[in-house]
Amino acid sequence: MRASARGRRTSSAVAIYVIILVAFQVFLVTVAVEAFQTDTESLAWSTAGVSVALFVAAAAFLRYLRP
Amino acid sequence: MSDESRPVPVAPPWKRDFPYEALSEEEVTRREFARYLVLGAGTIAVANVGLAVWTQLRSINAGEPRAITDAASVAVGGTFLFHYPGDDDPAILVRLSETEVVAFSQKCTHLGCVVYYDAGEERWHCPCHEGNFEVRTGAVISGPPTRPLGRIDVEVRDDGKIWALGRET
Repeated sequence: MRASARGRRTSSAVAIYVIILVAFQVFLVTVAVEAFQTDTESLAWSTAGVSVALFVAAAAFLRYLRP
Repeated sequence: MSDESRPVPVAPPWKRDFPYEALSEEEVTRREFARYLVLGAGTIAVANVGLAVWTQLRSINAGEPRAITDAASVAVGGTFLFHYPGDDDPAILVRLSETEVVAFSQKCTHLGCVVYYDAGEERWHCPCHEGNFEVRTGAVISGPPTRPLGRIDVEVRDDGKIWALGRET
């Protein structure tokens, strides 16, 4: 029972992590658009790199999410 | 293990407080919800990479030499709006004297607003956040921009036309 409760808490924490990561992705879109508008290639590529890394992290967290 | 000894599932408290059911609500699990979120994150990541590629490709295009307008149509102290190097790249030139013409991208390097020539102060001015640029070099004079305006090399040729030679990257 205790282990199950801990599992639920862990699962909820992972879900919250995923939500935060996705929210950060939305923020990164605004940064990418700003880089596009101002022709700042370095910022655009940095944003794309962080965005892909966040996506990979979010996908990896899915493994730890209980059904 | 018999059926009698198996624990009877108890409805969570929120279910008692909010006893309404939606069609097929039991089919949406937390994992599925998170999976949709991750799918959305992947879509956004692809969009960000696409934006980076688009930004890179646009900056590579420095433009081919081409005539912009007749030099006689631009008075000394006057400006002329055009697009260079692409049709989506607004640019502006100012004729400072009979022989001196300078041109810059019209996009402010701060947040991409349109700059215009402030004849009274002899400088490029961005009205969005009060950015100011030096008229001949495009260097930042004041305001939030940190990079100079994108310069376009121009010259007045013998055919009486002003030519754009390329954009400095």
